[in-house]
Amino acid sequence: MDAEFINTYLLLVTLTSLLANAIISIYGLFFKPHYTKKVIALTILSDTMNTFAIYLGYRTWVNGVNPRPPVLTSTPTEKSISEFTARAVDPLPQALVLTAVVIGLAVTLFLVFLGYILYTHYKTLDMREIKKLKG
Amino acid sequence: MDLALNLLGLLTPVLIIHAFAIPIAKIVGSRKLQYALALSASLFGVLSTTMVLDKVYREGPIIYLYGGWPPHFGIVYEVDSLNALIGLLTAWIMLAIVVYSYWYRHHLDDPTWYYTLLIGLETGIIGCLYTGDAFNLFVMIEVLSISAYGLVAYHRDRAEAIEAAAKYALIGAVATTFYFTAVVLLYAGYGSVNMGVLAYATRPWLLFSSPLARVPDTLKYLSLLSIALSLWVFTYKSALFPNHFWLPDAHPEAPTPVSAALSGLVVNVGVYATARFLYTIFGENSALGEYRSIVMFALFLLGVVSGFIGALMMMKQDDIKRLLAYSTISHMGIAYMGISAGFLTGNDTAVKYAVAGGVIHVVAHSIAKSMLFMASGVFIDAAGSRNLDDIKGVGRHYPLASASMILGFLSLAGFIPLIGFYSKRYIAQGYLNAGSALVPVLLIAISALSLPGYLKVVSAVLFSTGGKQTGLIKEKWIEYLLFGMTLSLIALGVVFQYTWSIYESASNALVNGYNVYLERTLENIPPDLKGFIYNELIRAYAGVKP
Repeated sequence: MDAEFINTYLLLVTLTSLLANAIISIYGLFFKPHYTKKVIALTILSDTMNTFAIYLGYRTWVNGVNPRPPVLTSTPTEKSISEFTARAVDPLPQALVLTAVVIGLAVTLFLVFLGYILYTHYKTLDMREIKKLKG
Repeated sequence: MDLALNLLGLLTPVLIIHAFAIPIAKIVGSRKLQYALALSASLFGVLSTTMVLDKVYREGPIIYLYGGWPPHFGIVYEVDSLNALIGLLTAWIMLAIVVYSYWYRHHLDDPTWYYTLLIGLETGIIGCLYTGDAFNLFVMIEVLSISAYGLVAYHRDRAEAIEAAAKYALIGAVATTFYFTAVVLLYAGYGSVNMGVLAYATRPWLLFSSPLARVPDTLKYLSLLSIALSLWVFTYKSALFPNHFWLPDAHPEAPTPVSAALSGLVVNVGVYATARFLYTIFGENSALGEYRSIVMFALFLLGVVSGFIGALMMMKQDDIKRLLAYSTISHMGIAYMGISAGFLTGNDTAVKYAVAGGVIHVVAHSIAKSMLFMASGVFIDAAGSRNLDDIKGVGRHYPLASASMILGFLSLAGFIPLIGFYSKRYIAQGYLNAGSALVPVLLIAISALSLPGYLKVVSAVLFSTGGKQTGLIKEKWIEYLLFGMTLSLIALGVVFQYTWSIYESASNALVNGYNVYLERTLENIPPDLKGFIYNELIRAYAGVKP
């Protein structure tokens, strides 16, 4: 088996598992009654979407040229830049993901804290019962 | 040196610095200092947005490059007559809300975080409105959302408030995650996240200067997918029908000034972003193709449904704030009916009038609804309860607040000469121009169905007795603020003939304004980089012969 086939195969596996992950986490978000499980499903969903962004910026193996991280280590010359653009993966999705991860951290922290206060009020985190108490 | 342009760039950083200076002011231990910081932030917002609006109306769209990076490489703020108008509205109403919060201070046990979140909310709204970058829109939606979630949960000793915030925040976080995916998809398809560059990239006939340029199917479906994902968060923020479930819980449970901000300002962001995506980025003959009309028509139908649902649900509410929250759903439906007129392709006059009606409706609804929430706060304070049975007759002691409330309801219902009449008139005129008599009938039906709800509040507050008055409010100056906002409703209606050009140019910015918008973006890109970006953009159409 050549490297290119393995590369394509692995990317396909990644894409399939991302899709499966997204479906499972959406199911968990809307059909699991427990608040904590919903928050966990949300973090799975946002991690899936972040990985999806990285995946879109990834560069597959072309004619044996393997992708590189988008970092220039030496003083740039014309030759090194053209080699860099031919091999480096797209850095922009990674920057977007970095922002999204930080924001996701803040939102998750807020949701977990909200869950704590919810528990002190209702003594449960089962959303079905919390709906009943509202009346 | 251009003052208005610099103020545009300074606005959100200065607001967020104010927001985070408020907790530091706690160390000094002065509540007055905290209040002064919040007031100065909102005054700065009013000053900047007014100057930006003035410049935009004199010179056309303006663009601020953060860090001097040209568009496509850096974040830009781009303001045309549409977002300048809504930005101005936001800043002025936020000023009123900050003043009202001072009156409301006896309910706020620790105002430090309240003001931090409130100014954070203003930053988020203004950032969402002014930004010219689809990814920055995501960041600003998160700034807005986190502040809004925190403010809904502000009364944390109330179980209902926490529950409403949890419901709102959980689904809201999912919606913003999907918007992130939509932006990534846009980037994967077109190679840019800048709105002006995207507006250029999605129009193949502009890119290849040939009307025959075709869009590859994959690109069309990718655009459709990303529009579908992003519309979810926009309709969620503006509580359009299937996504309205959180609003009747979250808006009433928040502190009253926050209810005014959420119902009056936050919902506009969704309407604005929808319009920006469906007119400027994916306009007529864009890569979205025939799906644009379908999406617009779906939005129109959802607008009609939420107009009716809001109006009908209003009748059976006993809680004054909950009733007003359902009225917000109904009016957002009407605004969407106006904004989504783009499916009437080929009839530019009709689209222009209906979209102008939608924009006027956003303005009219924001002022009236935030004022009504503030007025309801006065009555709730006097009666000590939100239940309409307890509020009976309370309004008799507050003539100015009651008069404001009646006029606010009249404006919402669409009575002449208040501004609310003109918004519905122009939406109806637009659809009549396209030969549809059904839409004006629907509009009248929605207005008629919401009348019993309004009358219920008016009759309870003014025309009945037997409420449980717990004590008179000492600080009656707040009534002048309410009445001032009401006067602006009347004034905007009376001078409508002379201000029509403002709304018209806001509507034109959407319907025909994409070329000015993208030209302003492209002329800020240095000539030696233009070729590079052009090659990047046409890669999306690889394999298509122009």
